[in-house]
Amino acid sequence: MIEKMAKVEILGLKDIALETIDVIHELGTLHIEDLTERIGSMETKRVTRMEMDPKYADHEATLNNLRAKVGDMIRELQPDPETMSKEEIANEYKALWSDNVEVMVSRLEKLLREVERDTRDTVERKSDLMVELSRLEKYAPIMGKVQPLAERVARMQDMASIALIIERKYKAILNYLNEEISKITNGECEIISQDVDDESTAALIVFNRRFLKQVHEFLAVQDVNQVRLPSDLAKKPIDEAVAEVRARIAQIPAEVDEIDRTLSTVTSQYSVKLIAARNAIHDRLEAMQAVPKFAQTDQVFIISGWLPADAVDPMEKALEGNFGNKVILTVVDIREEHDEEEAPVSLANSPFTRYFEILYLLSKYPRYGTVDPTIVFAFFFPILFGLMVGDIGYGIIIMVAGWIVHRKYASKPLVNMAGFVMTVGGAWTIFFGIIYLEFFGDWIYRWLGLLNADGELDKYLLGTKNSTFKYPLDRIEGFTFMLAVCLIIGWIHMGIGLIIGMVNGRREKNYKHVMEKGGLFLVITGVLMIIAKFGLGWWPAWALGIGLLFFVGGIVLGAVGAGMGGAIESIVGAGNIFSYARLIAIGLASVIMANVANELAIEQAKNGVIGIIVGIVVFILLQALNIVIGVFSPSIHALRLHLVESFGKFFEPAKVRYEPFKKTGGEE
Amino acid sequence: MVVGVKVGLIAIGAALAIGLSAIATGLAQSRIGAAMAGAIAERPELVGSAIILVAIPETMVILGFVVAFLITALKSTVK
Repeated sequence: MIEKMAKVEILGLKDIALETIDVIHELGTLHIEDLTERIGSMETKRVTRMEMDPKYADHEATLNNLRAKVGDMIRELQPDPETMSKEEIANEYKALWSDNVEVMVSRLEKLLREVERDTRDTVERKSDLMVELSRLEKYAPIMGKVQPLAERVARMQDMASIALIIERKYKAILNYLNEEISKITNGECEIISQDVDDESTAALIVFNRRFLKQVHEFLAVQDVNQVRLPSDLAKKPIDEAVAEVRARIAQIPAEVDEIDRTLSTVTSQYSVKLIAARNAIHDRLEAMQAVPKFAQTDQVFIISGWLPADAVDPMEKALEGNFGNKVILTVVDIREEHDEEEAPVSLANSPFTRYFEILYLLSKYPRYGTVDPTIVFAFFFPILFGLMVGDIGYGIIIMVAGWIVHRKYASKPLVNMAGFVMTVGGAWTIFFGIIYLEFFGDWIYRWLGLLNADGELDKYLLGTKNSTFKYPLDRIEGFTFMLAVCLIIGWIHMGIGLIIGMVNGRREKNYKHVMEKGGLFLVITGVLMIIAKFGLGWWPAWALGIGLLFFVGGIVLGAVGAGMGGAIESIVGAGNIFSYARLIAIGLASVIMANVANELAIEQAKNGVIGIIVGIVVFILLQALNIVIGVFSPSIHALRLHLVESFGKFFEPAKVRYEPFKKTGGEE
Repeated sequence: MVVGVKVGLIAIGAALAIGLSAIATGLAQSRIGAAMAGAIAERPELVGSAIILVAIPETMVILGFVVAFLITALKSTVK
């Protein structure tokens, strides 16, 4: 249901404009109308856009800086908002908030100084440790490889060594280095190399110590990575250095844990304050940024906007209570002003139907003054979904999975809604599964011995093969019957769309629109009656005559309502009813695949124990695949039937959603 | 023999019904899919509409499947 809105204009003395904005902000019900365009189109130049006091404009930049700082701190400390009490956040928010921006800025700066004082050194120490750990972890394998060689070199008094790390793909450079260093050292050198991992090779150049300087100079211009240990390790024998590196690698995580514990204490101390600071800055900036949307004259300010009709009284009382007759609220007659099309839309549905507002992720809200189709979607979507999937086993899985998702993601609205829709869809899947008597395909038929040697349904629990109504209702054998059922469902579904279209037309006193929709409704009714003649032997000839009359009459009505386009639309639109054949077609594809999975599993199971295991694996894999397809495809097609076939007949999108100017509690 | 030919023709008819409509759907979906991939790259919020638009040509193959199924039902009338 679309909530009834009222348009209001608030006028007041200019010197209390900011206080008035704060009261409106606190109430959080007004959807602000940007008056810029209206001011531009006015002949008088006395009304201008409201401007912020210059001293407040300066604070905007400061607040933006503070917002960035608070954001950085929140990212560093990573407080978990879900563990915080909303009450505590609200108290801290009140403590930080002030109508005076200067006071609020100074409170925020004080808080940030405190947090910085208590966290900066710890955060820097953690960052240094992480860098050190990453560097040592790089050294460790290289040093491990060169250690045995370096130890041998260390025992030779005259020899020096340099360790290098080279990308494996450039390993050939070692030959070049060997040649050049041999020249420098008159052949008193040796290069030993070993691959460290898939990407790098460690090399140890051993040469006479007399040439240490020249070799270093040569390597410096060759752009190769020398393994340089931290200065405190560089002068130590390699075995000691390796042991120390390993000890540090083992030690650093404990130090990081200790720092994390310290940080966690600081986090718990400041997290509520930081979240409150973030919210307060966000709200203050939002209030400041709203100012240019208002208008002013020399003496008064003008605020225009929309709010739910029920919220007018509380706002009027709040303004009167705070400012007496210095601020006046006037309700504008929107029909008189022809502003209805501009009205922002807010939906007020029942708790059950609200979950199905997920539909509006794919579509805009319905236009103000038209019918909200959420309830149609909430009723038909799960039914169409269940009709297509129709399997007790699949239904149980979908329902349980949907419920788990719904409960687990209570704080994530989109996933939470999707989970609920899945749960209801799963319930209808079980319902239709009982009608088709399907449990992971044809297992129940097999257990009850209803199938003949060719695997076709031969026996029925109620009725016989030749009965019109029989149980179970097998979708493969009863394809034509189910096709007819689907077309009738399509007629009802499209019919509801067309009736809503007629109601919308009547509300807007657009009777041609009513005739156009009525014409199409007659045409689809006529088409269905004509088709019935060919499908049902007992269908009387007079009913066929009425069907023809509806068909022709509908085209004429469509033409009267919307001209030649209306007549063509009536004929083409009638074709939409065949789109509902997908309800049986998709379901049939699903059940055939389930039956094939069962058949393959049973065939495998005939080959002993291994065959049984293979059969179970085949069954699980194919049925799992079928469930995934069985959830995805029917969801898309049920959505499409709503958005194209049914809602396409009446739905007019809203220009704007109702987004009240309120203290949002943050920028999450 | 004649019965066999008739059943064969029914099978060919059903195969054409679903095969041709599947090719048509594939062609349409490839173009819509490519266009929507470009659109989503620019405006990721269009992903919901994209899924619906890509699903629209599936009507062809679905109706093809229905027709094919109805054709195969003629098998029982062959004498």
